[in-house]
Amino acid sequence: MAIIKAKKTPDRSAPASETSVLGWLQKNLFSSAFNTALTLFTLYIIYLTISGVYVWGLADATFVAENRRECYDNSLTGACWAGVIDWLDNIFYGRYPREEIWRINFGGLLLALWMAPLWISRVKGKVLVGATVVVFYPFLAGYLFAGGDKGFFMQFMISGAIVAFAINMANTITGLTKNLGLNAFLIQSLGQTKATDKTQRNILLLLAAFAFGAAYLWQMSWSFEGVTWTKWGGLFLTLVISGIGIASALPGGIILALGRRSKLPIVRVLSTGFIEVFRSVPLITVLFMATTMFPLFMPEGFVLNKLVQVIIAVILFNACYMAETVRAGLQAIPKGQFEGAHTIGLGYWGTMGLIIMPQALKHMIPNIVGSFIGLLKDTTLVSIIGLFDILGMLRSISKDVPWLGLHKEPLVFGAVLFFLLCFSMSKYSRHLEVKLSAGRKH
Amino acid sequence: MSDTQTKGQLASAISTEVMIEINQMNKWYGAFHVLKDINLTVHKGERIVICGPSGSGKSTLIRCINALEEHQEGEIIVDGILLGKNLKNLDHIRTEVGMVFQNFNLFPHLTILENLTMGPIWVRKKNKADAIETAMTYLERVKIPEQADKYPGQLSGGQQQRVAIARSLCMNPKIMLFDEPTSALDPEMIKEVLDVMVDLADTGMTMIVVTHEMGFAKTIADEVIFMDEGDIVERNNPDAFFGNPEHERTQKFLSQIL
Repeated sequence: MAIIKAKKTPDRSAPASETSVLGWLQKNLFSSAFNTALTLFTLYIIYLTISGVYVWGLADATFVAENRRECYDNSLTGACWAGVIDWLDNIFYGRYPREEIWRINFGGLLLALWMAPLWISRVKGKVLVGATVVVFYPFLAGYLFAGGDKGFFMQFMISGAIVAFAINMANTITGLTKNLGLNAFLIQSLGQTKATDKTQRNILLLLAAFAFGAAYLWQMSWSFEGVTWTKWGGLFLTLVISGIGIASALPGGIILALGRRSKLPIVRVLSTGFIEVFRSVPLITVLFMATTMFPLFMPEGFVLNKLVQVIIAVILFNACYMAETVRAGLQAIPKGQFEGAHTIGLGYWGTMGLIIMPQALKHMIPNIVGSFIGLLKDTTLVSIIGLFDILGMLRSISKDVPWLGLHKEPLVFGAVLFFLLCFSMSKYSRHLEVKLSAGRKH
Repeated sequence: MSDTQTKGQLASAISTEVMIEINQMNKWYGAFHVLKDINLTVHKGERIVICGPSGSGKSTLIRCINALEEHQEGEIIVDGILLGKNLKNLDHIRTEVGMVFQNFNLFPHLTILENLTMGPIWVRKKNKADAIETAMTYLERVKIPEQADKYPGQLSGGQQQRVAIARSLCMNPKIMLFDEPTSALDPEMIKEVLDVMVDLADTGMTMIVVTHEMGFAKTIADEVIFMDEGDIVERNNPDAFFGNPEHERTQKFLSQIL
C-alpha cells in the first residue's frame, strides 16, 4: 500500500451556504427553529425602533414654525425641528456677529484647501505642505477669527501664511498639470536646470522673499474688526478647542512618551510624574484648575483669557493620554529595529524619526483616533465652566422665550452631529490603516 | 601541509594592521558574569568564526564590538578608536562596523531600496542618486536586484538575509559582524546566504561570524574560536581545530554537533 491516490482529485464547487445569498441566510439566520424565532424577534424590535424614530422625527415632525406653540398646534407627537432650524446659526457659530460669519467659513475653507493637496498623490512635497499648515495656519486663522489690531509678529506670520498658502496652491497646480513640484517648474521655466544646486536654491529663496515682501505690503492694506472670544461659541468653538487640542496633543504626547522612555533619569522622572498627575485627575478638575488656580500663579497684571487657559488645559490633559498611547505603540516595536538602525549608524533622533515612529504610529492609528474622538466629545465639558460651545448653545434653546422647554430636539440634533463627526473620523482612520498597510506584510 | 591548503579554498589576505583589539574585557548582565577576561586581536582581512554552545557569550562578544552592548571592564579598540562613553566614537564605530542579525532586522515599512539607501543618505550624507546606484550594485552582488521595490515582508527569509548583508555593505564598513546569520532560515535557504558570505570573504573583508555551520567555517575561516561559559577556550586554524581539538570542552562540543 504505497500509493494512496494515483490520480489528482479534481476541484469541486463549494456548497451553496458559502456562495449564494439564500445559502448564507439559511446558515446564519434560520439554521434551526429557535434561531428562526430569534431572528424574527430581533427584526421586530428593529422595526419598532426605526418606525418610532421615523414617525417622531420625520412623519409627524414640524419643520416650519414661529414658536413652540405652533409646533404643538401642528402635531403633538412629532418633533419640533423648527426650533433647531431657527437656532442653526447659533448652534454653529455661537454669538459671533452675523455679518462676520463669513470669516469663520472662509477660515474653514482655507484649511480644507490647504490640506487638500495632502490627499492628491501627484502633488510633490507633502511634508512641507503638512508643516506649513501646522506652523502658519493657526496664526492666519487666529487673526481671521479674532480680528483687531495686527501686532508686528502677527503681520509677519500672516504674510508668511499668505505666501505659504499661495506656494502650496501653485505647487498643487503644477503637480496636477505638469506632474512637477513648483520648485522644479520654476527652475525649468527660468531655464536654470543646469545651474548648481546652490544657485537654484538661491533663486528660489529670492523668489520666496519677493513674494513675502509683496504679501507683507498687501496685508497692511486690510484688517478685520475685532471679535472678542466671549462671542465665540457653538460648533465653531468646539472645533477650535478640539482642533488645537488634536493638533498639539500628538506632538506633545510623542515628546512626553520619548521622555518617559529616555535613559536620562531626570527627564524620565519629570515626564512620568507629569503624565501620571494629569491622567489621575478628571478633565473637569483640570479645567477648573486652569481657570481659577492658574491665574494665581501668574505675575500680577498677567491676564490670559479664559479660552486660552481652557485650550492649554485641554492640550496638557490630552497630551498625557496621547503619551501613553504612543508609549504602547513604541513598546510594540521589536528591539531588533533599534539595533538595525544603530548598525547603519543612525543616532537617537534618526532612529526614532525614520525607523521607529513611522512604524509605531501606524500601529497606533486606531488608538490615536480613539483619543481624538474622546477629545472632541470631552470638549463639551467647557460648557460647564461657562463657555458656550455647541452643548451650551443646544441647551440655551430651551431658555429662549419662543422655544421655552425645548430640550429633546436640540440634544438629538447634537447627538446626530457628533455621531457624524466621530463616525467619519473613525471611518477615515480605518481607511488610513488599510492604505498604510497595503502591500506590506509583516 | 602548505599554507593555502590549511586555509581551504580561499586565499587569505591578512595584513599586519590590527582592526580589533580586546584587552581583559569583562561583562556582566546584572550579577551574571557573561564574558570573562576576553583577549582577542583581529587583523585587517582576517576571517574569524566563533562557535560554542548557546549561552556561551559568543553573540554578546560581537555585540560588544559594535557597542550594541556595554562592557564593564577592560578595553575594546576598533579601528584605532577606544569604545567607551564617548558618543561620537560610538557613532563612528557603528558606521564602520556592519552587522547582520539572526532575525535580519530589516525595516518593514520601507522598500528594499529604501532600506539600503537610508544609511548612506542620512548618515553618510550622500545624494540620493549616488546612494541608489551603490545600493543597486550591492543588490546585484547578493543576486536580487529585481526585488528592489518590494517590501521585506514579501521576500523569503534567505532573500531578506541577503538584503540585510547588502544593507550593511552599502555603508562601506571596514568590519562585518555576523550573528548567527543562518539560524532562522529554512535549510534550503541557508546555502544562498552562505554563498553570498563566501563571496564577501573573497573580497578581503574583515569578518567575525558566529555560526553553527561548520562546513562554512572550514571553507572561509582563517581562525576558529571556541567559547564556553564566557571564556575563549580555544583558538586555532580550522584544520587543527576540527581535526585535532586540544581542549576537552572543544572535543565534547565538536563530537555533539559533527
